[in-house]
Amino acid sequence: MENTLSLLFSFTMLYMASSGRLRPYINMLVIQGVLLFLIFNELFDHINIINYCFLAFETIVIKAIVIPLFIWKIIKKSETYIDTQPSIPRFYSLIASTIILFFGFIFAIISKHHLPVDNPLPFGISMSTIIISLLFITLRKKILTAIIGYIMMENGIFLLSLSIENEMPMIVNMGVLLDLFIAVFILGFLVKRINRSFNGDSLDKLIELKDTENDN
Amino acid sequence: MIIELILFLPLISCVALIIFKKITFSRILVLVNAFALLFYSLSLYLAFINNSKITSLLGQYFKIDALNILFLLILSIVFMAVSIYSCGYVKSINMHNKKATYYSVGLLLFIFTMLGTVLSSNIALSWVFLEGTTLTSAYLIYFEKTKQSLEATWKYVFICSIGISLGFVGIILLALSTHNSSSMFFIDLYSHYSNFNTLWMNLGFVFFIIGIGTKAGLAPVHSWLPDAHSEAPSPVSALLSGMLLNTALLLVLRYYHILNLADCASYGRLLFLIMGILSIFVTAVYVFTIKNYKRMLAYSSVENMGIISIGLALGKTGVYAALIHLIFHSFAKSSFFMTSGNIYVKFKTKRIDKVSDMITCDPPTGWLWILTFIVISGIPPSPLFISEFLIIKELLADKHYIILVLFILLLTIIMYGIARCVINMTFGKRPNSDHFDYIEQTKLPWTMYAPQFVLLAILAFSGIYLCPFLIEMIKTAAQLI
Repeated sequence: MENTLSLLFSFTMLYMASSGRLRPYINMLVIQGVLLFLIFNELFDHINIINYCFLAFETIVIKAIVIPLFIWKIIKKSETYIDTQPSIPRFYSLIASTIILFFGFIFAIISKHHLPVDNPLPFGISMSTIIISLLFITLRKKILTAIIGYIMMENGIFLLSLSIENEMPMIVNMGVLLDLFIAVFILGFLVKRINRSFNGDSLDKLIELKDTENDN
Repeated sequence: MIIELILFLPLISCVALIIFKKITFSRILVLVNAFALLFYSLSLYLAFINNSKITSLLGQYFKIDALNILFLLILSIVFMAVSIYSCGYVKSINMHNKKATYYSVGLLLFIFTMLGTVLSSNIALSWVFLEGTTLTSAYLIYFEKTKQSLEATWKYVFICSIGISLGFVGIILLALSTHNSSSMFFIDLYSHYSNFNTLWMNLGFVFFIIGIGTKAGLAPVHSWLPDAHSEAPSPVSALLSGMLLNTALLLVLRYYHILNLADCASYGRLLFLIMGILSIFVTAVYVFTIKNYKRMLAYSSVENMGIISIGLALGKTGVYAALIHLIFHSFAKSSFFMTSGNIYVKFKTKRIDKVSDMITCDPPTGWLWILTFIVISGIPPSPLFISEFLIIKELLADKHYIILVLFILLLTIIMYGIARCVINMTFGKRPNSDHFDYIEQTKLPWTMYAPQFVLLAILAFSGIYLCPFLIEMIKTAAQLI
């Protein structure tokens, strides 16, 4: 079952790589949150009840509801619904993501004997998710899509931490969640300010600071 | 002694600051915190070397060892200097009550998260605090609320958050390598290393050094550093350069120690060496094109982190040299950044070509600028001369001739590049302008000079005579790397 869920998770990554609209990105973030909840339910049979409640809260409430809602609010405010000028055509981005995912599968198969886990597939998928997210951040030019890429990467890292089947202590889980939460809110706050100060949210506009020139 | 007390004080002070919102109160409270931190750090150090009991309220989560006590002492000394400097700085830029309160709250939260990172005895918890440093310092970098500071903050938060996330991948891979035989506490990791899978451990270190190296300012993942350091208020830049980079490096050293124990650190060493040389190279390339003096200092930090990194790659004597460099670079760079604050307050510009004749306009600042440059360049009696000399000696002993030549050549280029700017700014001929007369008449409070002079005195003294207790402390700390 966890393999099917992990595969579905990888498909959301491919969909995001091929799409240019911001609304589907938000939908995929919601789906990823729900899938992560289901995956950890499958992977952990004997989990401490407090840790269970915490992880359920993190996946369902934070990853599937609060963060997508917050990002959607910023999108509505900035009235940017599409990432119009990616660095390369979205078709190539899809091909590149598919190749990375393919290598993720190969990596999972090869490392099967070296991994101390029962099921290596979520591990391979999570590693490729992290790399696809980095590619996504590099190729998209809107600040908002960069933040969405960052959240995708965080989801990939969450899947990686689930895939090694090693429970993190509660205090660490709380810290990780708090940091993610604050980072997203700070980035969201900065997007609003950048929109106002730079008349738009394209990363190309952030060129005030250079090594060779500086007027202040 | 209870370790956590050192953490609670900044948090309690923040609450008090938000309630009262008075500029005098905030200045006093930051100073009280700095004194308390220095006093408590020294007490912890004495308790540690005398094997006295140090207790922890939160179980094993915070601990003192030979390595983090060194970082704790550096942090408390740098913070002491910055807090005294801030008193004058806040006054000289006419901060109002609310702004001064938020500035102080930002400083204390930043110190709290750095303390958490240094004192944590669990690698994942240290990571959490390190991410916390990004979030707490973001406000301080955006403090002047200009377009440039906004851009710098965005780059800082975004790049560092990604870097730190990659660092977490390193921690997960380390957890994977343990085969569930160890917790994430350093003490467990150091005692169970023989059971770890070296493949996953090494792969994890690659993610870790690239991720956390972002925060430590190592090239090629240093791109946020010149922007953030140049746009933050000068006392904040002093803390960023003087302590934050070290704090991030401490985490890398913790992981590196496991590799050393497991005798599989060759890849780690190679990574340190590559990133170290790249850091120096990047600085040498940019040093001649930079127009902003704070940016120049930021690049100098990248260079010095590179030197430390090369020292770490060389092992044994190299590690000892790296620790000497780390300690004294913190003092020298924080002094340099604080002096750059004096220049900014006086000249109202960050452009190198708009500042000249500092030695007449403001003699103490002019002398500070020149003397700090001498120290940072490793010219005797600078203690950085000792560390650089030891690294060169080690490179010779290990027969790394090409790296040696490259190292000396790049350092010379950087020294020349910085010297050119520093000398022009200090002794350059002033234009016939009323602005310079006005600058000459503007007086800065003594608190904006004293901390730098004290730090320089410590540096000069250490360059001539390295105290035996300090040597012993560094040697003990080097055993944990």
